[in-house]
Parts: sequence; C-alpha cells; structure tokens
Amino acid sequence: MMNHKNKQSLLFEPMDQKIVFRRLLSYTKPHLRWLTIAFFLLMLGTGAQILGPILIKIFIDDYLTPRIFDFQPLFLLAAGYLGLHFASVAITYVQLFLFQKIALKIIQQIRIDVFEKVQNLGLAFFDKFPTGGLVSRITNDTETIKDLYVSVLSNYVQNIMFLIGVFAAMFYLNVQLAFFCLFLLPVLFILMQLYRKLSSKFYAEMSEKLSQLNAKINESIQGMTIIQIFRQQKRLRREFETINDDHQKAWLKSIKLDGLLLRPAVDFISIIALILVLSYFGVTSLNSPIEIGVLYAFINYLDRFFEPVNQMMMRLSIFQQALVSASRVFRLLDHHEVSPEKRGDGQPKIEKGEIEFRNVSFSYDGEHNVLKNISFKAKKGETVALVGHTGSGKSSIINLLMRFYPGVKGDIFIDGVPIDHYENDELRKKMGLVLQDPFLFVGTVEENIKFYNDNLTKDDVVNAAKFVHAHPFIEKLSGGYEAKIGERGSTLSSGQRQLLSFARTIALNPSILVLDEATANVDTETEGEIQLALEKMQMGRTTVAIAHRLSTIKDADQILVLHQGEIVERGNHSELIEQGGLYHKMYLLQQGDREEIESVTTSEYVNTVDKNT
Amino acid sequence: MKVFLDLMWFFKEEKRKYITGILLLAIVSILSLIPPYIVGVIVDHIEQGTLTTSILIYWCGVLFVIAIAVYIFRFLWRIMIFGASIKLARKLRNQLYEHFTKMSPKFYNNRRTGDLMAHSTNDIRAVEQTAGVGVLTLVDSLTMGGFVILTMAFTINWKLTLICLIPMPFMALATSYYGSLLHKRFGKAQAAFSSLNDKVQESMSGIRVIKTFGYEKDDVESFRKKSDDVVQKNIAVARVDSLFDPTISFIVSISFFLAILFGARYVVAGELSIGELTSFTIYLGLLIWPMLAFGWLFNIVERGRASYNRISSLLSEKIDITDDNSVKNEPPVGDIEFHVNRFAYEEEEIALQHVSFKVNKGETLGVVGRTGSGKTTLMKLFMRQYDLNDGVIYFSGRSINDYTLEALRKSVGYVPQDHFLFSATIADNIAFAKPDASLTEIIDASKLASIHEDIVQLPDGYETVVGERGVTLSGGQKQRISIARALITNPELLILDDSLSAVDAKTEEAILEALREVRKDKTTMITAHRLSAIKHANTIVVLDNGEVIQKGNHEQLMSVDGWYKEMYEKQKLETLVEQGGSNDES
Repeated sequence: MMNHKNKQSLLFEPMDQKIVFRRLLSYTKPHLRWLTIAFFLLMLGTGAQILGPILIKIFIDDYLTPRIFDFQPLFLLAAGYLGLHFASVAITYVQLFLFQKIALKIIQQIRIDVFEKVQNLGLAFFDKFPTGGLVSRITNDTETIKDLYVSVLSNYVQNIMFLIGVFAAMFYLNVQLAFFCLFLLPVLFILMQLYRKLSSKFYAEMSEKLSQLNAKINESIQGMTIIQIFRQQKRLRREFETINDDHQKAWLKSIKLDGLLLRPAVDFISIIALILVLSYFGVTSLNSPIEIGVLYAFINYLDRFFEPVNQMMMRLSIFQQALVSASRVFRLLDHHEVSPEKRGDGQPKIEKGEIEFRNVSFSYDGEHNVLKNISFKAKKGETVALVGHTGSGKSSIINLLMRFYPGVKGDIFIDGVPIDHYENDELRKKMGLVLQDPFLFVGTVEENIKFYNDNLTKDDVVNAAKFVHAHPFIEKLSGGYEAKIGERGSTLSSGQRQLLSFARTIALNPSILVLDEATANVDTETEGEIQLALEKMQMGRTTVAIAHRLSTIKDADQILVLHQGEIVERGNHSELIEQGGLYHKMYLLQQGDREEIESVTTSEYVNTVDKNT
Repeated sequence: MKVFLDLMWFFKEEKRKYITGILLLAIVSILSLIPPYIVGVIVDHIEQGTLTTSILIYWCGVLFVIAIAVYIFRFLWRIMIFGASIKLARKLRNQLYEHFTKMSPKFYNNRRTGDLMAHSTNDIRAVEQTAGVGVLTLVDSLTMGGFVILTMAFTINWKLTLICLIPMPFMALATSYYGSLLHKRFGKAQAAFSSLNDKVQESMSGIRVIKTFGYEKDDVESFRKKSDDVVQKNIAVARVDSLFDPTISFIVSISFFLAILFGARYVVAGELSIGELTSFTIYLGLLIWPMLAFGWLFNIVERGRASYNRISSLLSEKIDITDDNSVKNEPPVGDIEFHVNRFAYEEEEIALQHVSFKVNKGETLGVVGRTGSGKTTLMKLFMRQYDLNDGVIYFSGRSINDYTLEALRKSVGYVPQDHFLFSATIADNIAFAKPDASLTEIIDASKLASIHEDIVQLPDGYETVVGERGVTLSGGQKQRISIARALITNPELLILDDSLSAVDAKTEEAILEALREVRKDKTTMITAHRLSAIKHANTIVVLDNGEVIQKGNHEQLMSVDGWYKEMYEKQKLETLVEQGGSNDES
C-alpha cells in the first residue's frame, strides 16, 4: 500500500527536464515527412535572405566603386535580388504555416492521448484526484505545451538556422573576422543561461502570485454573500490589496530583470560588436586597402545577427513554463491505475441476470474493510434492497457489482460466471445503473436520453421517456425533445432530471438494474411519477437497489440490512415483519391509520426514554 | 486613440513617471541614430584613406559611451513606463474588487463567475498593455521614426529618403490589417478552446455515468471532434499569423532595393558618397521597427479601448442595496415583525405575498414549505440581500431599512443553504466574522455546532485547510462549520436557512438542544425541509407558493389536518427507514 500512495504523490513531482524535452521531441516522429519539408523550406528561405546582402556587396565592390555599369550583369543582379526575395517571401510563408500546423497536430495528439488515458483510469483514481486539477492538466497544461511547439520550437529552429547562415556568410566574407565574431556566442550563451535561471525563478514567483490573485477574486465572487452578510468586505479588500501589491512587486521584479538582461543587454553587446568590427577594419585599412563592400556586408549581418538572439531570449520563459507543464502531463500519462479489465478466455453473455456475491470483502485503502464477508444471491427478476445508514457499505456493494474497483476478495458471479470474465461492453450494456445524482450534459433532451448510443431512433427515445413517465413534462418544455438543457441540467427540477436519467438507462433495456435511490430534495410533484417509473423499470429485471423509499423496500424479494460493512439482518418483507424488528413498525406506519401510527411513534419514543433512563 | 484620453486621469496621476520615461525614450531614439552615422564617417575615412588611429579610437570611444548610456536609459524607461502601467493594473483590480464587494446578489445572479473573472484578468491586462506597450509604441515609433527620417533627409539625402519611404506605410497598413484579422480569428480559436475546456469539465465530473454506460471510447471520440475543431480554428489563426514575417521582410527588401538602386545613381552623380549610402541603409533598417510598431499600435489600442469600456461599464453599474436611507448605527435588538405585501424577483413571478407574522425577542421561528415556496426569499429579504418595495420588515420597532447594513447584519448570524467555505484553515473559516477570536472561542462555537469532534480528528485539527485546495469535507461537516461560523459572534438573531439538511437526525437534535441552552433569550429563525428541525419552534409558518397557508406551534398544527401534519408523518416514517440499519442505536 505504500506503493499505492507513492504512485499518487508521484503525480505531483516534477520530471527531469531533459527527459521531458526528449519526450516532447519524440511526438514529432509521425510528422517527420512534413517536418523535413518544412525544414528544407526554412533552409531555402534563410539562404535567400542571407544571400541578399552578398548580392549588394558584389554590386558595391565590383560595379559601384569602380563605376562599371554594364546593363546585363546589373540587370541580372537586380533580378536576382528581387527574385530571391520574392521566393523567400513565399517559402517563408509556407514554412511558417507548416510548422504551426504540425505543432497543432502534435498538441492535439498529446491532448487525445491524455484524455483517453484519463478515461481509462479506474474510478479509484477519480475519488482522489480533484476534478479541477484534472481538467487543467488536460486543457491548460497542453495549451502551454502548444506555445512551445508553435512559438518556441519553430522560432528557435529558424533563428538558429539564421545564425548559422549568418556565420557561414561571415566566414565566406572574411575568415579571420568571422572567428572574431564567434566569440560573441559564448558571451550570449552565458547571458541566456543567466536569464533562464533568474527568469524561471522570477516567473514562477509571479505566476504563483497571479494564481493566488485570481483564486482570491474567484473565491470572493462565489462567496460574496457570505462576505457581505458577515460584514467582512473591508477586511477582504485589505487582504486582496495585499495580494495585489505582492503580485505587482513580483511583476516589477521581472520587468527589472527583463530590462537588465533582455533587449537592452543584447543591444549593448551589439554596439560592442560593432566597435570591434569597425576597429578591425579600421586598423587593417591603416596598413592595406580593404573592400568596403565586405565591411558593408559585415555590418549588415551583425545587425541581423542580434534580432534572432533577442527573439530567442524573449521566448526562454515560455520554453521553461512549457517544460513544467509537459512534465505534469507526462506524469498523468504515466500514471498506472486502470479500471479492472476482463480476464480469462471466452466471451460470456449475460442472459438471465442472476447475481451472486460469495464471501466478498473489500477495502478502498487496503487498511479498513468497508465490506466484510458479504454473501447473497438474486435470481432472475428478483429485487434485492440494501438498507443501512451512510457508510454502512451499500454504495460499495454497487461499486463492486459494476466492476468499478479492483482488488475484491471473494467472488462475484453473474449468471454463474465470475464477473471478471465479461467484456466491459457486455457488462455496461446489460447492467443499468441509476445514480443518485442524475448527471445531464449540455445538449438537447433527446441527446441526453440517447447519450452516445446512436442506434436509438427518435421513437426509441420517446418510448423510453413514456415508459418512465418523463414524456408529459418533456412535451411541455418549449422545444420538447429538442429543448436545450443547461449546464448540469440546471434548467430542470431535480425530479425531472432523475426521470431523464431513468429514460437514458431504460432505453438500453438492461437485464440488471442497479439503483442508487435519491433521498433528499425531490419535489413532491414528481415524487409520485418517480415511484411509478421505478416500479415499472424493475419489472422482469434483476434489481439491486440502495433503497430509501418504502415501496421499493416492501416489494423487494430480499432485504439486506447493512451495518459497518456487514449484513446484520436479512429476509424478505414478511420474514422481517415476523422478526418483529424495526421493519415491522415501519410497515405498520405506512399501512395503518393515524391511531396506529401514533401508537407506534409513541412507543418508539417510550422505548427511547426507557433506554435513556 | 481615444483610449489615451480616457486614461488621461491616470497619466496625470503618474505624470512624473510618464514624462521621465518618454524623455528617456526620446533620448534613446536620438542616441541610436549616432552609431550608423559613425559607421558612415569611418567608412568614408577608410575609402579616402584618411583614417588615423586617433580618429578610430575617438569614434570607438564615442560608441562605447553611447552603448552604456543607451543600456542605462533603456533599463530606466522600462521601469518608468511599464512600472506605471502595472500600477494601473493594480489600481483597476482594486477598484473592481471593491466594486464587487458592494454589489448585491441580483448583480451576481445575472452574471457568470467566468465573465467577471475575464474582466478582472483579460480586460485589465489589455488596458495595462495600452498604458505600457501602447504608450511605448506610440512614443517610440513617433520619435524614433521621426528622428530617423529627419536624419536621413537632412544629413544624407532627402530625395532618396522619400523614395525609400514609399513602401513603408504599406507595412503599417498590412500589420494593422493582419492584426485585426488575427484578433477575430483568435477570438474564435479562444471560443473553441473554452468549449473544449467545458467538454473536459463535463466529462470529468460525469465520469461515473460515462463508465456506467461503458461509453469511454465514445467520449474520447467526441473529445477528438472538439479538439479537431480547436485545431481547425487555430490553423485559421496560423494562416494569418504566418503572413507577418514574410510581408515585413518583403517590404523591407523593396525599400533596400530602392535605396541601392537610386542610391547608386546619386553616388554616380556625385550627390552621395558610398559611406553615406552605407549609413543610409543602416538607418533604413532602424525604420523597420517603428513602422511595424505603428501597425501593432492600432491593435493594442483597439483592444485596450474595448476592454476599458467593459471595465468602466462594470464599475458604473449602480449599487442597488445602499445605506442611503439609514439613520441608525446601532445593531438592533428586539422583536421582529414581517409585513410583506408582495415581492417578486422578476416582474411576473411573485415570490411572496401577504406574509405577516411576528417573532418576539428570544423566541424561535420555524418556516417550512416545499422547495420554491419562498422560505429562503423571506430570509434574504430580512438580510437585505434584496430590498422589499411593497411591505415592511420591522426589527426592534423600526424598519430594517432604517439601520445601516453594517448595523443590521451585525445583529444576525446567518447559515446559508449552500455551505460555502473559503480556502483557508478551519479556524479561519469559523472566525470569519470575528478574525481576532481566540482559539477557545472558536472551539466553543465548534462544540455548539457539534463539529469539534470531527475537527480534532483531521490531520491538522483546526489548522486543516479546507475549500477548493484543501481537504474535502462531507456536506454535513461543511454545514456544521458554517453553523459554528455564524455562532462565533453570539448574534442577537440566528438564521438557519435549511442548514441542517445534511446532518443526521441525532446530530441535528444535539445542535438544536445546544442552541436552546446557550441562546435562551436570543431569537432564532429556522427554515427547513425536515420538520424535526423546527418542531420545537414557538411559531411555525407554513408557506406555499409564497403565501402563508398554516401558522401555529407544533401541537396546534398537528391537531388539524393539513400540509404540516401530513408532511410530519411522512417524514417520521422516512427517518425510521433511514435508520433501518441502526435500530439499536435509538
């Protein structure tokens, strides 16, 4: 079990940046062909841009300075210059676009991978991992990685290519001077490293403050009623101002850092480089003549040399941030806590829907058993009602029956076959689970009943709705089956939501029905409808129900009373009545007239008093 | 550009920073003009063979001084201008936050948290950009561009300058056009992304249902479709985004071409030296940025204007619950009387009508009724979350509107239906209304609310962090913490708005018992779905469709056939069923 906890905490540990980077690069593999093309175009475009100043140099040195103006070579030069630039424009466009497109495809792949991975994780994972954090990893973190591919990688490749090109041209023009300029590289490299180190620290501080700031606003908006009613506006305002101030200070710090090490620093170095180049040419010219064209080209290249450096430095913090996000995403991708899978050969089918639990014990954390030695059997069409207070183990029985959790001790059979042997699809299609909190998604009523089952026709949907008595209220909605349902079904009452979820389940015609009955907050109008619907749904289906409603319990073939994970009382309605326990009284209450109720409730009261005294 | 006028109040406030910053920027622009000039001078010296070591050292020295000066000035103007702009961001954020704290629930009902968040993040960011990068770009492109053009025209050749400038305005036009195009497409891409975000949110919170039906693969498929859409929209962005670089380099190269073409003619004609031509092309290079910036400026300013308008209109939203007619500053103590003639949230739907009753000081009032019958509305009116137009509510003989909000609410401890806790420690949450409360006070309140035992079981006890980022508590635990939070000020009036719904019957009884003991001469109002919570009340009011259908104490109401009696019996039954597994505990 330590191992288990480690797994969970591993999700929050950063990964080695080199490994993360390599892994990010490995995502480019499927796009190798287009990437190669993009690279090729990039080289062409860069080459064309770099050739430009060389053509001008030729013009100045070979034609302008000696005043030779033959039409043909000049025309060729001009045409060459313009042609190169036209070509480079087109090539650069295609190349830039290709890189972005590939980046978008890669990020989509990562997104789908991580979403698919999460979908296949077991429910145990979702019990522990907060939803908000998951959503943020799937969308926001991948979005940050997108910035890396879109604006960092292609930009770096392009700028590095450009730098190489500039150096190649410099070497072509003057080897000695080019070597000289090569010394700029380590200086710039040190500058970059320094900036990377400091900025990642400052950036982290700032983004931490920003997220605190946003969390504060968000929370305050949501809790504004509480703040106002408890008259804490002034205090909260003060608290907010403090965070706001801290954020501004952190921000100013990174502005200062940017001012010290980014463009101003690079420009400073560029002027120093200019001084060096001028001195070199100046000193050389004192002794021997030099080509002005070379000087021109050199200065031009120097000018162009520093822009890519600026560009790259500005993107360092994005780069850094993307690696952090990528490490979070990869941790999730590597997480191993999948849902229980099918075991064994064969493809058994569920026909009758008989259920048997044999000596089943279970624990979520490996320490505390939530179920101890549970055994029961439900024949085809029978109903088993689970009764007990919160934490007695009712929900756990349902979770195991649905094969949501691994690590079950004992055996669970359906139609005499161990539950592990069924295909996931078979289990899901034949067992209909109705949850206490009916989950509806944004979409129409029809879409919500259909869910992802496209085989269902409109008639099927209407029939299912009619079957569970949802049809009348759906008809009354404006738009009927096409009516839009808001976020989490907010436009419907809780009872109506429940009926829709019934319809969704019944549309699949499952042979086993698993019910987690809702207790609270069902409005009285729909209460009756729900009762009726439930009774009809149970007809001919094996049902296991966490029951609160007397009707469900009364008609059950078996009632299991659970207490602290054990079955403490069992039997059908009449058996339990004979036992003369609580159930007997409950039954009387519902059946009997007012006097009997009063006598029972008073006797209950007397009992309590008796025990207390 | 109007947004600069709108922001004038701020520029005036920070005029020292802005003026210094702008001056420094202008100086930097002028200083940047000198290196190309020096290059031209040295080239000419080399060409004419007149270069000497001392000339070289002199000019290199000048360059070095310029390098240092430019470095320092660049650093300083950033701190001046950007420093001022983030100050504006802070200021606006504080203003918004303060405004938020003054708005009533009505304001929040009509808006989504996400939208309000967007105002306080994206919109403020856009305004900050206008006051920072926007000002910089405006000043820089004007001064730098102006100086460069002037230098080229006056020190080198004005004809050549004009010729080379011809393509430049196209660059500003193009970047401005692309920018607006990009903005639109980017908006669509953003929308697609947020729809993807909603999808993930929905899938993650509905994961149980998806797994129940075995639709994992289908859900991945539907996610794939959404993410396809995101890709498509982003590709549309990329199509425009990729236009910038090629367009700029195209226009720049045309300018260079013109410079060389016509420059060569002037050199031949003797109007220009080769050194001057070299300087000229360097100056031309310096013009790229101002032109580019000018194009961008339109977009920054455009976005800033839209955002500033949104923020302004939010800030000018009227505060509808005020102290304007309040005369009393002391928290009220005494009897309470409701005389509600009619109240509606929206025009047509009547939430309450003809509701009148009295609660004497020290008594307990119970309000029951179906969901939507108006129980909570009644409490909200009392707390002045909404103002009652038709009718009066008296507290200690005066209309509640006569008291300041501060005074009225000081008399009340409120436990809302939805148990909202802040991301803070439990102790902080309980001491919310009394931040200086001692630990003993906090523990006393917790014991009253029957939550003390639960809290000490937690890993960090009272220092355990709860809320979104902390440990997850059960609904019942949160409710009881909310109760402790309301009790800590020992309020004259305690309102429990269906706030015992998630605690079990035994705990409910314990809490009610404790309250009865401690709050002997204090007033309590309880609304409930479960009647056991109000059974002991001196007066019980049954609401239906916003009207009083029954009134009396428990005995009185049980003696007549009606909603109350019917409901009471039904619930008694349900309680027994729920306790089915623990019948030996009673």
